[in-house]
Amino acid sequence: METPFQRLLVRLGLFVAMATLCVPGLWVVLTAFRTNVEVMAKPPVWIPRALTLDNFRQIFGLSATQQGIPVVEYFVNSLVIALTSTVIAVLIGMMGGYAFARYRFPFKSAVFLGFMLSRTVPGIALSLPLFILWSRLGLIDTHIGLILVYLALNVPFTIWLIDGFFRQIPLALSEAAQIDGCTRWQAFWKVEFPLARSGIASAGIFAFLTSWNEYALASQLTRSTASKTLPVGLTDFTAQFTIDWVGMCALAVLIIVPALVLTFVVQKHLIAGLTFGGVKG
Amino acid sequence: MRFFRSRYAAPVLLLLPAVIIVLAVVFVPLVVSLYSSFTGYRLTQPATLYNFVGLLNYKRLAGDPDFWWALGRTFVFLTIALNLEMVLGLGLAMLVNRVTTGQRTLRTIMMFPMMFSPVLVGFQFKYIFNDNVGLVNNALQSLGLQSEPIPWLVDGWLANLSIIVAEVWMSTSVFAILLLAGLMALPKDPIEAAKVDGCNAWQTFRHITLPFLMPFVYIAMAIRSLDVARAYDMVKIMTNGGPAGRTELLWTLIARVGYQDARMGLANAMSYASIILSVAFTVYFYRKLASARRYMGGIED
Amino acid sequence: MAEVSLSKVVKRYGGHLVVRGIDLSIAHTEFVVLVGPSGCGKSTTLRMIAGLEDISDGEIRIGPRVVNDLPPRARNVSMVFQNYALYPHMTVRENLGFGLKIAGETPAVIATRTAEAAATLGLGELLERLPAQLSGGQRQRVAMGRAIVRNPDVFLFDEPLSNLDAKLRVQMRVEIKKLHQKVKTTVVYVTHDQVEAMTLADRIVIMRDGVIEQVGTPLDVFERPVNTFVASFIGSPPMNQLDATVASRDGRPVGEIAGGIAVPLPFDVASKLTAGQPIVVGFRADDLSPEGHGLVGAGEALELERPVALAEPLGTETMLFLELGGREVQGKMLHPRPVEVGESLRFRLNLSTLHVFDKASGMSLRA
Repeated sequence: METPFQRLLVRLGLFVAMATLCVPGLWVVLTAFRTNVEVMAKPPVWIPRALTLDNFRQIFGLSATQQGIPVVEYFVNSLVIALTSTVIAVLIGMMGGYAFARYRFPFKSAVFLGFMLSRTVPGIALSLPLFILWSRLGLIDTHIGLILVYLALNVPFTIWLIDGFFRQIPLALSEAAQIDGCTRWQAFWKVEFPLARSGIASAGIFAFLTSWNEYALASQLTRSTASKTLPVGLTDFTAQFTIDWVGMCALAVLIIVPALVLTFVVQKHLIAGLTFGGVKG
Repeated sequence: MRFFRSRYAAPVLLLLPAVIIVLAVVFVPLVVSLYSSFTGYRLTQPATLYNFVGLLNYKRLAGDPDFWWALGRTFVFLTIALNLEMVLGLGLAMLVNRVTTGQRTLRTIMMFPMMFSPVLVGFQFKYIFNDNVGLVNNALQSLGLQSEPIPWLVDGWLANLSIIVAEVWMSTSVFAILLLAGLMALPKDPIEAAKVDGCNAWQTFRHITLPFLMPFVYIAMAIRSLDVARAYDMVKIMTNGGPAGRTELLWTLIARVGYQDARMGLANAMSYASIILSVAFTVYFYRKLASARRYMGGIED
Repeated sequence: MAEVSLSKVVKRYGGHLVVRGIDLSIAHTEFVVLVGPSGCGKSTTLRMIAGLEDISDGEIRIGPRVVNDLPPRARNVSMVFQNYALYPHMTVRENLGFGLKIAGETPAVIATRTAEAAATLGLGELLERLPAQLSGGQRQRVAMGRAIVRNPDVFLFDEPLSNLDAKLRVQMRVEIKKLHQKVKTTVVYVTHDQVEAMTLADRIVIMRDGVIEQVGTPLDVFERPVNTFVASFIGSPPMNQLDATVASRDGRPVGEIAGGIAVPLPFDVASKLTAGQPIVVGFRADDLSPEGHGLVGAGEALELERPVALAEPLGTETMLFLELGGREVQGKMLHPRPVEVGESLRFRLNLSTLHVFDKASGMSLRA
């Protein structure tokens, strides 16, 4: 029984909130398609008169006017490192998650606590000793160096997530499959895994996003375009005195687009996985 | 080979890769970090790694004003930010809960900031708060409110305000989404009973809604506290602790001392301080969460 | 096709004994029900037969083979779970055929056997549906279909009807019984509901605290319970049990109950009694009826005039609650007429069917 005034207040509040959430990002995206001239203009130009893809061409080094930045290398590095560490993290996470969900063993809570504590270590704090160690091991500025690090970052979380998903599947299903003739291994692949699939997929996407967006460790453990990732690239070029704003906005768009797409996919999977109600007999 | 027939063989083998990788990449380096904090290690002179100096680095820290300023600033920054995030998140969740149509769209929009890497958030606000081409200054100028550009990222107070704004923008959604889930799980009956018993909106909120939500608040705090150091990425690109150290947080100081000044031993001592800070936040909130769970009657285990 | 035998089977969890050494022989095609209160070890025993729990001690045989170390898939048993455990991502047809597929049967064989099972259980129209689209009763039938399709040596049922509402439970009980008559296979069935046990079993095994209290046909355990536990567990309403002390009246052993009433005891227990011995006398509601409203039976009866505390009319009979020996007991009134609360009726207690238990050990003195 709310008054029209109350309803107006609510709508207004929501409008302000949503605007605050959307406008900054949208402004960056818009800038990516504008010309430098318009962006720098004083008094400020609000309605763009011309939209262009030049900024994108430029950062890829395809334009004749300005020197490009190694966007392609950064993109490839980010992709390779994020994909590889995600695939391995999901595999290890499935094994660990299954162990936590289905078995009892000594020190179980201590191990779990250890995993969770490892996540609280700030990236930059961890980067110092890792820098020391990785230098001695020759892992600085390599893909594998970062992949190992991201594995350690992602495994605890994927284990935690996948543990939760496996717990939702009644053990009776695996038992029924074993009675029907499966080995424990077969029962896992034919019954438990298909049911946890969407949960495992969303754990994978979280891991990918973590690796894709990570900065603190990447910034110290990489040196050149051999392994620098997109976030490092963005920071490098924004640290200069004169910033190519339109170019950097274009780069920012490149970084956000895969993340946006994947997050939408996770949403659907999460919802689908949670409403798989047919499991409870 | 008796081990392989024991009933612990399976879980141990399954967990082995995970344990190995976390031990090797997190815990071993932590030990190395601790060790090097007791040395006078400088990156430029690798041999100094074996130069044991005992507690010298820690003593230096204790007397170093830069360190204490950074630590204090970080603590204040986090406290203000977390509290703001919680309050704003609660407010946003309550607003979204009121609306019946289009809730799904609203929830999707609420998830936006979570997709952004902290570097992107820092970049975004660096652009918006830029005194020359930034959105804020341009808007103020166009609306005729200000003719002089405001140095959002240069002035001491304003710069700190700016990074708090950026941090709050980045993480309020975590609270909003979790608290919205809590609000949606809220049973209607006690609220209706309260209304019949004569409570007005504020009283209903204070005595019925809020107590029910507390566990969700603590869950959100606990989850959030795991990632407080994410702010480093954001601040690094936004201000890099500057200008002139005005927004220096503990983490940017560590990076500066360790990599720029190459004083690794000292930096590692500082980084242990930052680890203790993180763990302290996490433990504090997990304790609160545990006591809230007891109050809720044991949700699950 | 197999007998199942358990000898001295023990199950330990940590230091805690859940099953304390049980011996049981189940004949080929027999329908045996394990029944008892929660925690008595019946489900654990069933799961040990299935191979889902390790056997701490003792031996289990299915047919001629000792199965202690065999995994479930090597034991050729089928199990119907309490929550049905249907594979939610497979259709009914795929659920039914899963076991055969794993065993490597040809698609033709799978198709025929699936069709047979579906026909037996009336699942024909449901074959393409997913479990989430089925009702509780339908899911139960699919679970049973999955069990019969593999032609196992033994069927195991783990409280399969607990999740169904009362009416459906009665229906499914009948279906299970009919199924057993049709597919003559050994069945081991676990339930906590003694009505299910009585109606389904060839033999009932009553368990408590990890031990077998009694094994016998339903009629056996009903008429000749071996101790007070079995006596109160089997039969609804539970047997009335009153404490009494042995005494002698006119040369006849009697049990003196509170309130000064002396209940004459059957002669066949006289030799086992000593004066002053504390005993428990037991009688079922059927054996305590108002005069003219009870089973006309031979044998002596004790006549008592008692006021009725409560009457529960059930239609064909009325349950009467009255005080006797300091306790509330139940009697049964056949061909009922309306009874007022407080109305005093002349009751007849059938003495030939009286149960006598030693109070200290709980054991029956008449068995």
